[in-house]
Amino acid sequence: MVNVTVNPLTRIEGHLSVDTDVDANGVITDSRSSCLIFRGFERILQKQDPRDAALLTQRICGVCPISHGLASTNALDDLYGVADQVPKDALVMRNIFQGLNTIASHATHIYVLWGPDLANPAYRNVLATLGDTGNAVWKEMVGRFAPISYKIDGQSVPVGSSYIAAIPEKKRLQEAIALIAGRMPGSVSPYPGGYTYKANVGDIVKLSSYYLQVMDFVSKYTLQVPFDAWIANTYKASSPQKAVSFVVEHLKGLVDKSLTSNDFSREAGWGDAEFYAAFGSELVGETLLGLPASLKHDKIGGYSDPSKIAFLAYGGFYNTENGDGYDPTSPEGDRFQTSGIVTGKLEYQKFDSSKITESVAHSFYDDSKGDLHPTVGETIPFTDPAKIDYTGGSDSKYTWDKAPRYEGIPCEVGPLSRMLAMKEPLVTGLALAFNEKGYSAANVYTRMMARIQETVIIANELLKWVTVDYDPNGKISVPIDLSAAKNSQGMGLWEAPRGALGHWISAGSDGKVANYQAIVPSSWNMSPRDAAGVPGPLEQSLIGSKINAVGNILGVDYSNPVSIFHIGRSYDPCISCAVHTIDLTGKNAPNTLRIV
Amino acid sequence: MSTGTKNLVHILDGVDFLKMDRRTFMKAVGLLGATVMLDSYKAEIVSALEFAETKLVWLHGSECTGCSESLLNGGNPDIVQALNKLNVNLAYHETLLAQQGIFVDGKLANTSELNSEILLEELIKEGNYILIVEGSIPNGPQGSGKYLMIGKKTFKEIIAEAAPNANAIIAVGSCAAYGGITSADSDIAKDTDYRGVAFAKENPKGGILQELGIDKPVINIPGCPAHPDWILLTLGAVILGKIKVPEDLPVLLDNYGRPKVFYPPDHTVHENCPRRGYYDRGEFDEQVGGEKCLWKLGCKAPYAHADCAIRKWNGSVSFCTQAGGPCIACVEPGFPDTSRPLYVEAEDKGVLLGANIDTVSKVAIGAAAVVAGVHAVRRIKGE
Repeated sequence: MVNVTVNPLTRIEGHLSVDTDVDANGVITDSRSSCLIFRGFERILQKQDPRDAALLTQRICGVCPISHGLASTNALDDLYGVADQVPKDALVMRNIFQGLNTIASHATHIYVLWGPDLANPAYRNVLATLGDTGNAVWKEMVGRFAPISYKIDGQSVPVGSSYIAAIPEKKRLQEAIALIAGRMPGSVSPYPGGYTYKANVGDIVKLSSYYLQVMDFVSKYTLQVPFDAWIANTYKASSPQKAVSFVVEHLKGLVDKSLTSNDFSREAGWGDAEFYAAFGSELVGETLLGLPASLKHDKIGGYSDPSKIAFLAYGGFYNTENGDGYDPTSPEGDRFQTSGIVTGKLEYQKFDSSKITESVAHSFYDDSKGDLHPTVGETIPFTDPAKIDYTGGSDSKYTWDKAPRYEGIPCEVGPLSRMLAMKEPLVTGLALAFNEKGYSAANVYTRMMARIQETVIIANELLKWVTVDYDPNGKISVPIDLSAAKNSQGMGLWEAPRGALGHWISAGSDGKVANYQAIVPSSWNMSPRDAAGVPGPLEQSLIGSKINAVGNILGVDYSNPVSIFHIGRSYDPCISCAVHTIDLTGKNAPNTLRIV
Repeated sequence: MSTGTKNLVHILDGVDFLKMDRRTFMKAVGLLGATVMLDSYKAEIVSALEFAETKLVWLHGSECTGCSESLLNGGNPDIVQALNKLNVNLAYHETLLAQQGIFVDGKLANTSELNSEILLEELIKEGNYILIVEGSIPNGPQGSGKYLMIGKKTFKEIIAEAAPNANAIIAVGSCAAYGGITSADSDIAKDTDYRGVAFAKENPKGGILQELGIDKPVINIPGCPAHPDWILLTLGAVILGKIKVPEDLPVLLDNYGRPKVFYPPDHTVHENCPRRGYYDRGEFDEQVGGEKCLWKLGCKAPYAHADCAIRKWNGSVSFCTQAGGPCIACVEPGFPDTSRPLYVEAEDKGVLLGANIDTVSKVAIGAAAVVAGVHAVRRIKGE
């Protein structure tokens, strides 16, 4: 047994260690996910003006500050009792605001954070065994996805064409956000009862222009099917099977054209999404398309026991068709992306927030009461440095992240969970196909395909929000009664790009914050074991995966565990989010903390 | 910006920043103080001159990656231009680099081409780099620094290794500069004991360097996040030799280690706020979503020493008050404590906002004038 640890796992937000035990065949037999930082964040909100939360919680994460701002604003709408009155146009502005951030965050993840792993020299070595075809595929991978300041065998590798082209697009999206939110990151516009900025007609024209420029990037780099055709045949397909068939047929056309000439370039029709859709998966690439090899990303990062995993979505983006107001406690049916629990066997269930508990059995906290619902939990952090020890193994405490559970089950959150909960045809179809053929429905490939597909879907919706749904002459806020916060509570359920995000607030008799809590996506995904010893999603998905490229085809090399990189990053981890701390009940103050 | 300064900018309009001898440059910057000096010449900064390669080692402490995100939003120069034109080798940056730490049975594996831990060790050993720190540094618990570990070291240890060999140190963002949001007042602040690189909030001797006994000059680029221009133009000026470290720093930096050119001591965001006309007429918004002065919604622009209102953000499309959000003075050393409550007007908490009266007398005078101005407006309106 060999211990392989990736620490830090870079190109994520924050500091994460992925620690694995690997057998002689290069298969991971055990794993631990450790968040390496303790920030002490939400404690600063206590005894303060509740409204500050919408701006200060944005500082939990500089990559997706808007999700925190809006989850917090939802909780504040609830706290002040104005959720049912928030003007429709404020809700549309919030949708635009979040939509732009989700697209920017996904683009950053796909191109800047995740993509560079495709330029790992391990792939060159594997693909070289396939002669001209393999070499051509490698040339595309390194040519598109190599990061900046990169060297292989002492030679500087030019930065990838897609990587370098994505940075200005990300910047452009941030500009569009700034236009309606002052700046990005750290925007100023979420506010209970509405939104601080009423976009005018000129802004709408500019937003449309930003949108069109980003679409130019999408059609040049990402997706070479006309955007409308892709939407019509996948997202709006009449069945999951039809959506998958459309994509497979499209890819088949490309493969037929390219295999003889070994031309997988953009000019030959291979956008980055097509390239990954075909070569990323064994089932799609090798079995269905007849490619000579694939990256086999569908065989890593899966779950072996469907009874120990579920997919959770709180639901994101307001349905604004019903006019003003929304129901802060019941996202189901009230959101464009609905809430739901999808079991490990892909069965849909309604979401009930009362079923969430958290465990600190393997986190650096003392625990006197066992697993509790977050609103009544307690957390007592270690302040003795000697007890903060990451090396004790799976039976010890090894992280600052806690272990959230839904009815005792660890949940994956993020684009894949959202797409499954909303029954999106393409992603649902892929998940069903993998399930049927004996693969795990969730794997590195389906996670990345879900992220790509969600980007397209939100881009599609964004244009409607900007040009149809928003009325520049509409109302943008309603006044809030500050005294309404006294002895009140609020819950904000929302979706960050990385997954389900919940903020809970309560105020005391003085109207100031008594308690504040956020359970963030990476708390779910990067979760350690719970009191029953059940590993979190990342940990489960590592176990059983082969550590090297393409199923360890070239033998076992512990020193370049490419699969660990792919699996870890497929969740788009955000560790700063995962390790902010809060006090839950106030009963434990001043020396107890809660980490979520 | 005062009229005098505006004239000076006008006079200097035709001057070639890059051709200016250093003495003239220093004199100009000293005189300008509150201006957009570097901004006026940013195109020249990226003009095609040949430079020796400059290595950057960018370390992430306790942070949200917001400053790196902001850096990627830079324009003229943008990050790619800056790296290419200034011949910068971004040798280590955790969010962008290809490598990661790889340990096999507890030992570092592979080479620096794949292993970030080996890469960082090699870079530190070679020295001759500019060290950029994003995020604060926990000294806790109990001075151990163990509230943040990276690889198998505490972040405090990593700073202790990286700082002595750096040619210059730049603390990017309010966390790295002053402790920022991680050091805000709370009942756990004493346990986490978060520090900036050189400062702890307003205390210029409270930083982690002092704790570690390292004496190195630090340029602070605060902001939550820092503006990409502030980062890239400071970096450009250092690389171009327009700012010599450490000899020029006493003239170029204010008492909080900030380049005066971006954080003018005699100028606040309020002065150039697009809503300023409403303030002068005594017209205030009391609910969000309007277009008038945000003073009554808690705007701290009169206390914020930064050029946001002129420079603006994200390709100059907007900035906080323009989009209806009160300025939260995120560039100030006491942020966020000195800005809270964010939506409550600041006059009733005293003009100094917890800052040191000796070191910020100018701020105090400016702020007092503002508050007096508000009262004057009220008197005029008969409120």
